[in-house]
Amino acid sequence: MNISESKDFIVSTASLKKVRVFSREVFEKINMPQEQKDELVLAIAEATQNIVKHGYKDIENTTDKMQIKISLKNNELVIGFFDKGKPVVPENVQHRKLDDIKPGGLGTFFIKQIMDGAVFKKDQKGWVNHLVLSKKI
Amino acid sequence: MPYKVTEEGNISTVFLNGEIDMDVTEKAKEVILPLVDAGKEVHLNLKDVSYMDSSGISVLIESHQKALEQNSKVVVKEVSKSVLKVIMMAKLEQILNLE
Repeated sequence: MNISESKDFIVSTASLKKVRVFSREVFEKINMPQEQKDELVLAIAEATQNIVKHGYKDIENTTDKMQIKISLKNNELVIGFFDKGKPVVPENVQHRKLDDIKPGGLGTFFIKQIMDGAVFKKDQKGWVNHLVLSKKI
Repeated sequence: MPYKVTEEGNISTVFLNGEIDMDVTEKAKEVILPLVDAGKEVHLNLKDVSYMDSSGISVLIESHQKALEQNSKVVVKEVSKSVLKVIMMAKLEQILNLE
């Protein structure tokens, strides 16, 4: 089964729920355990939250859009995130140490726990950042 | 974010509802943290919370740590399976007071 679906969202915390709804709708078409679908929705939500929280830090009420593209081919799920926020320096994307208990810094950890791969690509056309998450299912 | 607060003695129970993400965490903190600051023992009932991401987990951590500063505690109750999984992914099941 091959799938390729994408959708644009305004960069806003109010879009986070819409992103989850979109993701759940796409995953409904894919035969995999509900638990795995929930994990993938969380990974997508965390990556999206990072765009809103870090890519658009100190920028309020933007009309910019971000795009999320979910593709499935040969049992590999590839999820692309495109945005026009501040350029990401991949080396700076780190999660906090788990034994350093404090609020924040867990989103990237969750993504790494759930996904097989997380790579920032430089092939974006018209976008600033292109994050690709991947997972064999 | 729908919520309800009940009081019994020094215990305030906050019933949260729906999906806890970055869009609603400020509201959640506005409800929970003043109760913690007032020295209440706060019980967070999550039976009707179907989804929580890292920003929701941050609210749980911040509430827990503030309560410790007040020599009080926050108890997280009736956690749904999906939320418990996220708490465990963050390896917080031994840190937070889960009931």
